[in-house]
Amino acid sequence: MRRFLLVLANDIRRHLKTPWVILIFILIPLLMTGLIGVIFAPRTDSGQLPPIPVLLVDNDKGMAAKLLVSAFDADQLKKMFLVTVTDEVDGGARMEKGKASAMVVIPKGFTLDLLDAKPVTLRVVKNPAEQFLPDVVEEFMATMGVMLSGAVQAFTEEVKGLRGMLDSPVSAIPWDKLGPQLGKAQKKVVAAAKYLDPLVIRLKEEETKAAGAKTQSSMREIFSIILPGMAIMFLLFIVQTLMRDLLSEREDGKLRRMLTTPLRPIELIGARLAGGWIMGLAVLLVMVAVGALAFRVTWGPFGYFLLLAAVAAFWTAAFFALFHALVRNRNQAGALGAPIILAFSLFGGSMMNPEVMPKAFRTVGIVTPNRWFIDGAALVREGRFPLAALIVLLLSGLVLLALAVPALRRRASV
Amino acid sequence: MLEIRNLTKSYGDVMALDRFSLDLKKGEVLGLLGPNGAGKTTLISILAGTLADFTGTVTFEGRNLFADRGLKNRLGIVPQEMAFYDELSAMDNLLFWGGLYDVPRADLKRRAAELLEVVELAGRAKEPVKNFSGGMKRRLNTAIGLLHKPDLLLLDEPTVGIDVQAKVSILDIIRGVGAAGTAVIFTTHQLAEVETTCSRIAIMDHGRILAQGTLDELIRIVGERDIVEITGEFAAASFSEALRDIAGADVELLSVADNLASLAVSDTGRIPRVMDRLFQLKLAVTDLKIKTPGLETVFLKLTGRSLRD
Repeated sequence: MRRFLLVLANDIRRHLKTPWVILIFILIPLLMTGLIGVIFAPRTDSGQLPPIPVLLVDNDKGMAAKLLVSAFDADQLKKMFLVTVTDEVDGGARMEKGKASAMVVIPKGFTLDLLDAKPVTLRVVKNPAEQFLPDVVEEFMATMGVMLSGAVQAFTEEVKGLRGMLDSPVSAIPWDKLGPQLGKAQKKVVAAAKYLDPLVIRLKEEETKAAGAKTQSSMREIFSIILPGMAIMFLLFIVQTLMRDLLSEREDGKLRRMLTTPLRPIELIGARLAGGWIMGLAVLLVMVAVGALAFRVTWGPFGYFLLLAAVAAFWTAAFFALFHALVRNRNQAGALGAPIILAFSLFGGSMMNPEVMPKAFRTVGIVTPNRWFIDGAALVREGRFPLAALIVLLLSGLVLLALAVPALRRRASV
Repeated sequence: MLEIRNLTKSYGDVMALDRFSLDLKKGEVLGLLGPNGAGKTTLISILAGTLADFTGTVTFEGRNLFADRGLKNRLGIVPQEMAFYDELSAMDNLLFWGGLYDVPRADLKRRAAELLEVVELAGRAKEPVKNFSGGMKRRLNTAIGLLHKPDLLLLDEPTVGIDVQAKVSILDIIRGVGAAGTAVIFTTHQLAEVETTCSRIAIMDHGRILAQGTLDELIRIVGERDIVEITGEFAAASFSEALRDIAGADVELLSVADNLASLAVSDTGRIPRVMDRLFQLKLAVTDLKIKTPGLETVFLKLTGRSLRD
């Protein structure tokens, strides 16, 4: 035990003597988190969403189409959408250049088909380079579609009368019947007006007391989502770097010298594992602290998070103990280590939100520590105990450890 | 103190140690000489306990060196590699490596300070080792092996790649350790080092000891004959053929390779006859050196090649 502690203390002292490597690995994820957060934060200085650029192509020019186009002119929607009415050729070219989030195409005959109660289709062309904004336009158009359909159904009788008149020459319009039709329609409109003006459901925007708190809250939310992914990715890098001693000491003769002393191989392996675990946990906690101070990230109950971080650091140390027992030398470890970590991070959700990943990616992500850590951190942030993440990371870490120890003993012993 | 019996180790078809046997007494300093691949490092590695899969026995004061873990505290190793932590200071390195042995902490600090004086690093004890020169690192490497006052010290080429001053310092330390009663085995390529440092010399090749004894005892193997080293432009076979008629008790061909041959000559008056014979056969000679017998002569005679081969 004395020698185990001696090796452990020596490892920690050595790494602290050259702190730059660790500091860089702490700073990079924090910087990346800051940059990603700033770039992708959907807020302007005024605290409002920037208007979504939408192209509108009206091939119909009819009454219903005009109604739809004018809907975008409503006060509340003006803040939300930046509409440009254009033709299909120009609109297509602008979409190719990524100048708009979506293009809405109103087909020819839209008004008449609507009055005939025939199914009509509005086309929404989405910009594939954007993730969320085109979906907002699509959702809005779907809502408009529902509203128009509802209006047509509510005025079925009046619409039928009007539709017949639209196809007739002016001389053939039965003007005497038009009055009662319009009268009925007017009664419905008047009856509906008390619900429409003012609207029964209205939106009211409010600011919190602290100036800019909304922006900060939004940014904090983004940092809280990004930082755990970055933290686990760089934890993997740090622990791999720290545990590379297992190979370098073998190559430069230090391991051989240690084994000529009364130090037992198991004491050495235990110290290396404990060193990787302790240093990894310490680095993770530093990232957490800096994240909380610099980005005001909320991590949830500290005890829960500490437990999750400890188990994640243990998993990482066990994994890299096994990894370094299997690779031949430092070059091989360097060549294989980074791709493995990047693959873990890609599939595990450190690089993108698992919810927007292809299903196959999400499935593969289940075997990565990143996924479990990120999911666990999300639960902790909500104040919930991350039981599943803890169990999976702990059990798989123990399996890795059980494989690593004999493999390392075989490599370390004579 | 140390008894090695029939130690045999092979790497595939290559026999690194071939029934190697050796005895070492307390305070004896044994220089192990041999060309590359002779088996020196294999022997040191087995004795240090870092190489397995061999046959034979090694006992230390009658106890199996490998079965008795407690004996590790009595064994000191100075490997060929600079096996310490560059980022730590000399003192921190000594305290760490010494700490792996069962030396009380207080004694360890005192002993580390003493050793830093001995290896002339006391003034830079707290400086990171990465700032040290090659010679300073070699001295520290040696000091680490001595911290726990071992009864048996194994040094694997401890003077490789260092300046003369550092070399002299390390050889002084080895002599001092031997004088204090520690048994020492050290391997080297340098004949002069073993001549001046060792109480006994063993010459090994192909995993076996070819001869061992004091310097005088070894020189007697080649007798009092002078060594004639001939350099020229000739094939080894032609040279051997030319010498066949005149070789005898007073002229012995020790070794021959293309363009270089060594003869042991008991009477230098025989040299002109050798030269005549070479000229007759049109074998060009460009240089001729006459050397008095020494360890190099012995080595040449026993191994058939010079040490640098």
